[in-house]
Amino acid sequence: MVIGAGPVPSPGCPARTVRGSPDAISAIRGDTGAVTVPAAILVVDDHDGFRAFARTMLEMAGFTVAEAATGAEATEAARIIRPRLVLLDIQLPDVDGFEVARRLAAKEHGPVIVLTSTREASDYGGQIRSSPAAGFLPKDQLSGAAMRRFLAQDPA
Amino acid sequence: MNGRSRTALIAGAVAAVLFQVTVRCTSDPPPPLIDTIVYAAVGLSFLVAGIAAWQRWPASRLGLLFTIVGYAWALPSVGFLPYAIPFTIGNLTASIYSASLGHLALAWPSGRLRSRFERWVVIAVYTWNTGQALVSMLFWNPGTSGCGPGCPANLLLVDGSSSIENAFDAWSVPVSLTISGIVLTLIVRHWRAARGWSRRTMVPLLWISIAVIALSVTQTLAANLNLPLSDLALYGIAPLILLTGPALFVASTLLARTAHGAVGTAIVDLGSEAPPGMLRDALARALGDATLQLAFRLPDGSGYLDTAGQPADPARPGAGRAVTPLAEGGDAVLIHDGGLEHEPQLTRLTAAAASMALEHSRLQAEVRAQLEQVRASRARIVEAGDDARRRLERDLHDGAQQRLVTLSLALGLARNRAEASDPQLQALLESAAKEAREAIAELRELARGIHPAVLTETGLSGAVQALAERSPVATTITAVPPGRFPAPVEATAYFVVSEALANVAKHAVATNAEVSVRELAGRVVVQVSDNGVGGALPDAGSGLRGLADRVAAVGGSLRIDSPPGRGTRLEADIPCP
Repeated sequence: MVIGAGPVPSPGCPARTVRGSPDAISAIRGDTGAVTVPAAILVVDDHDGFRAFARTMLEMAGFTVAEAATGAEATEAARIIRPRLVLLDIQLPDVDGFEVARRLAAKEHGPVIVLTSTREASDYGGQIRSSPAAGFLPKDQLSGAAMRRFLAQDPA
Repeated sequence: MNGRSRTALIAGAVAAVLFQVTVRCTSDPPPPLIDTIVYAAVGLSFLVAGIAAWQRWPASRLGLLFTIVGYAWALPSVGFLPYAIPFTIGNLTASIYSASLGHLALAWPSGRLRSRFERWVVIAVYTWNTGQALVSMLFWNPGTSGCGPGCPANLLLVDGSSSIENAFDAWSVPVSLTISGIVLTLIVRHWRAARGWSRRTMVPLLWISIAVIALSVTQTLAANLNLPLSDLALYGIAPLILLTGPALFVASTLLARTAHGAVGTAIVDLGSEAPPGMLRDALARALGDATLQLAFRLPDGSGYLDTAGQPADPARPGAGRAVTPLAEGGDAVLIHDGGLEHEPQLTRLTAAAASMALEHSRLQAEVRAQLEQVRASRARIVEAGDDARRRLERDLHDGAQQRLVTLSLALGLARNRAEASDPQLQALLESAAKEAREAIAELRELARGIHPAVLTETGLSGAVQALAERSPVATTITAVPPGRFPAPVEATAYFVVSEALANVAKHAVATNAEVSVRELAGRVVVQVSDNGVGGALPDAGSGLRGLADRVAAVGGSLRIDSPPGRGTRLEADIPCP
């Protein structure tokens, strides 16, 4: 199987800036312990239109949202922001979503990972089941409610 | 010599033989009947051999020489006429045939003498033969020796004292033996120099030579040493031995005709796939020429190589060897026994057969090469088609599908945000969102039909799993290798499973299906079986025909086993380089 065999960015490659100012990042970390602090969601997708829309929708649903366009940006942003949930597109320009999910899950207290795609889960065979992601959500079914369901499953 | 003069010559010889029989039978007293029959038979045998020689070797003078021997054999019979002139001529030419036979032997098989020396030898033979007869006639008085009182006169008689005749005869024997020895030595040399075909054609000649020499030596010795042999045995029966030569020649001519057949049979037996080495061996066997070479011009034109890989030079084939070109432009040549040159029909036939066999192998090789090209190009076309479909699916996924998804989400969001006070707007947005969702679903099906993303993403195992899960008939996967295969192999195997499961759902009336994909020694074997009604026909306009084409395009084969009432089993064997 070639799962996870995608190209890994070299350390010298300048990572694109994480969308969201450092202040915003600290504000959305959600590590103050206060339940009222809205959960942070990192939307990882190379499709600008979808990312922008997801931000609008999820912010309207009361989440704080950060964005990343590639696998490398996603791991970097997750390290800084430590989001509660990562909405992770499987098709990314550098490494695929499964590989990103593995990297994120390797960390302690990693985020809830929700894989997404315009394709159906069955198009990825057993890869979704065998990935550390909490689940798969087809893109056209994205909603704040769906995000909350995934967060509710998370024991953390 | 043209056909008409040949006919005249032969007719004349036949007339001479008939004349011989007539005069012998009408003479007084007639010679024993057996004597006449033997003489006629031997004369006729030379004529028949002459006809055979003309048929077999039209360019050779051998036919003429055989006919001349026939004449020379018949001529002395004029001596049976009761007149002095024919009597004298008959006795003078009594053994001229043996000189003609010597000539025939030395000129074998072309009818032409090989060297100036041999021409002198032949002249000497004729001269000695006639001269000896002439000298002996000068001293032979037929009235006193052997012939009796009723005998016609010897017109050449000078001195009838038999002592001179006897003295001359005693002196002439060693000369006769010497000349015979020279002729025999030359014949043996010809025999030793000949190889293969030429040597076999000399067998009748050797017989004639031995027969003539044996006969004349016996006759001479008997006459001079007074051996107790009757004239009937010596001159009546013994000449029968001469018959063996022409008979053998006629037999070998018939055998040569069967060699024509042997060449044809050899080519037929060779089959279509035989390499040139086997062609050479078959021709060598058919022609009885073990030294036969089949040589081909090297592609750079620098020379020739024979089928054993040895260099050959058609310009200098060697002594006693001849060259027959096979292909146009001399790209292939047969180098063979020079004796075959005297068998133009056989040579032509051999060359034609060999050319045809070579042309056949060349065409076969060409067809094979073309077929290989067509196969490769068919595989490339299928692969290019797959690539295009893969790209198209990807483009749909990245473009239209992505936008539609965003649009559908936006519509859903807009509907949620729309003022509850405006139910018309809400309904409108709701129906737009529904349309978008349906468009997404349709586009997804379309994209999957164009190319299964799961195959690109997960390879055969995931894709087969997905097919099994989607199949309306309960489907078990008994085996599928986890690794990845070359894209054309994966695509072909996937389409086999997909089409087979679609057929199971549509036609088989089955409750269970089983799929297995196995990797075996450079092949991927896909099997799909069901417990349905069977009776599937590959040609009945089903997708099976197209599937078989698809499998064949990557060099594989598709087998369908579908006995009525006992389920269908489909097996695709796909080469996996």
